[in-house]
Amino acid sequence: MNRRNFLKFSSAGIASAMLGTTGLISWVPRAHAATIRKTYYITEGFITQPDGVDVYFRGFSSSSNSLNAPGEHIIAQEGDTIDITIVNTLGSSHSFVVDGMVDSGRISGGQTRRLIFEARNPGTHLYYDGRNAPYNRVTGLHGGLAVMPDGRDDQLFAGSRRFEKQYFWIFNDCDPAWNNAVRNGQTPSNNFTPRYFTLNGLSGRPPGAPGSGVGTIDSMHDPRTALHGHLGERTLVRCLNAGMAQHSVHTHGNHMEWLTSNGQPRPDVWLKDIIPLDGDAGSMDFIYPFEPAPDAWPPMTNATLQQAKNQGRHSAYPMHLHDEMTQTAGGGLYMFGALTDIFFEPN
Amino acid sequence: MGRRRRQEEPTPEETTTTTSDSGGHDGGGMMGNGCYIYPVTALETAPLNNPDVIYNRGIYMNGVMNMDDGRNVTIWGFTDGGHQGGGDTGSMGGGGMGGGSVFPSPAMRVTQGQIVQTRLNVPMHMYHTIHHHGIEPEYRSDGVGHLSGDVNGNYTYQWKPAHAGTYFYHCHTNTVLHAEMGMYGALIVDPPEGPGTAFENGPSYDVEAVWAVDEIDSSWHNLGWTAGTCGGDVGLHDLNPDYFIITGVDGAQSALTAPGIAVDMNRGQRLLVRYICAGYLPQEIRFGGLNVDIVASDGRPLPNSVRVDKINAVSAERYDIIIQPSSRGSYTVEIDIKDWITGNVLGTARTRINVS
Repeated sequence: MNRRNFLKFSSAGIASAMLGTTGLISWVPRAHAATIRKTYYITEGFITQPDGVDVYFRGFSSSSNSLNAPGEHIIAQEGDTIDITIVNTLGSSHSFVVDGMVDSGRISGGQTRRLIFEARNPGTHLYYDGRNAPYNRVTGLHGGLAVMPDGRDDQLFAGSRRFEKQYFWIFNDCDPAWNNAVRNGQTPSNNFTPRYFTLNGLSGRPPGAPGSGVGTIDSMHDPRTALHGHLGERTLVRCLNAGMAQHSVHTHGNHMEWLTSNGQPRPDVWLKDIIPLDGDAGSMDFIYPFEPAPDAWPPMTNATLQQAKNQGRHSAYPMHLHDEMTQTAGGGLYMFGALTDIFFEPN
Repeated sequence: MGRRRRQEEPTPEETTTTTSDSGGHDGGGMMGNGCYIYPVTALETAPLNNPDVIYNRGIYMNGVMNMDDGRNVTIWGFTDGGHQGGGDTGSMGGGGMGGGSVFPSPAMRVTQGQIVQTRLNVPMHMYHTIHHHGIEPEYRSDGVGHLSGDVNGNYTYQWKPAHAGTYFYHCHTNTVLHAEMGMYGALIVDPPEGPGTAFENGPSYDVEAVWAVDEIDSSWHNLGWTAGTCGGDVGLHDLNPDYFIITGVDGAQSALTAPGIAVDMNRGQRLLVRYICAGYLPQEIRFGGLNVDIVASDGRPLPNSVRVDKINAVSAERYDIIIQPSSRGSYTVEIDIKDWITGNVLGTARTRINVS
């Protein structure tokens, strides 16, 4: 297949297509169930990585001429009807699966399939292509589904600790040899050796690096990804791992309140600065409390945050994976991997 | 010598360089010729107060760790420039390396509520930082390269630990390499009750051990401090460890008997193990058939302690574990280091708990 037949995307183009629809999640609870409608187009293309290498991806995209990897998220309320139309623009067969809720079965090349199912199991779910597992999923065919508990806008599940706003962090690892095999209709023959690591489809650009601060390129400033909070603005982060490697999620500034692993509530809520995120479609949820950094001296207050802002400084801390190979791109370029920033904002 | 690039040269997106850059082999390198492709954040200084404790740390780049198979591996770390206040730190380094250098780097031990300053001195030809992992200070004291700033020359971090527990500190410049090279040390925060109690109103202990379990890929240990920051492929995405160590001592044999790592205790005594997953890969730790109580993790007490016979951990997690053996004997502790994708065991480090 000739590469010129493929769409080629800079990460900027991809992100702008998704802006405001993945990552930071808006939600208003309803008294009655509703129908949530979405159409996804299965598309393909190349995404330029931080070292300049173009890598092949597929995605559940928002239009037939875009590439979203991950796809736009879905948010629904327990009991809602989810009405999904999948348009497979490719020649290969794919599927749409949410474990415990829906499995489309084979959607052949060129076919369109409508799926209607009920939103169940409040929590964080991965939607993905279950065919040719795990290759199609890792090549980009995945996204997040949030099911809110009935009538609530501040709990992950009935009885969970409460939050004020919420984000998706969808991690992925990329071995270009696997993606290329998928492109060519082959089964990858090599052991998975990821060279690129993404968060919501983007990777980091440290201060001073080209693209740093550009939210459509830089995962450290992508508004869907970087956390922004006032003191006390408790923030739920729904973590999904579409990749294959087990990761170590590390926040600076505050410990996390660890709520779930792989969809299961933790028996106790532990306060952690590291939480494991299992590979091969693992998940994890936590609340970042945006409390004053506990070990700051002098203490962090709204006044100190305001003073910093007045002086043109950001009171920001990173979140990065602590399995530090993930902080690289193409075998080097430290800090061009799966990380973002957490901004403490004055009121 | 590694490929070097000036800041006005092509950006990563603009180039498809496939240099065979080895990272320079310029361990210690020269800042003016460094491979950084973007400007380093100018450090801002946080307001400093009169500290209760001061730790002075320098840099060494020429350490050598002697492995059980007779090979030597280059190690980098922090030197101890002395301290004022704070607890005894002499017992928590693992291997002596000569020249005043130890690996892991000399521990810090302070008391909850003390104002602490860590004063870092970095030779002018390179960059490093100290990040006090799990300590959450004002951002200018967070020690993250390119965010809160890389250091050459002198810089003072200030923090006031609010929670007793087990932490560690490490370099956060080109972290993927610098932490792998050994630039870390233990950081213990004692509760107001002092050593002998795990945390405020927490369990007491009679014997204490710090097990910082790490894997080493010796092929990375020939790289220069700027390796990969040029954009070339130096293999930092792919860790293939060949040594598995506990607190700076080879876990193949030496850690089974190394003083300060292998534990000698009496029946009836309570042991606190401060376990630090100091590597990048997942680990599983087993206690030779002993049941243990996890009482805290990552510097925070658990709401309820958990009794287990093994623990799975990922990079940089810490677990505070109380062990009170009821029978005499020698218990072999095994820590498997696993592939991050397959879960296959890549190697095992071992030590012992000897109960008499």
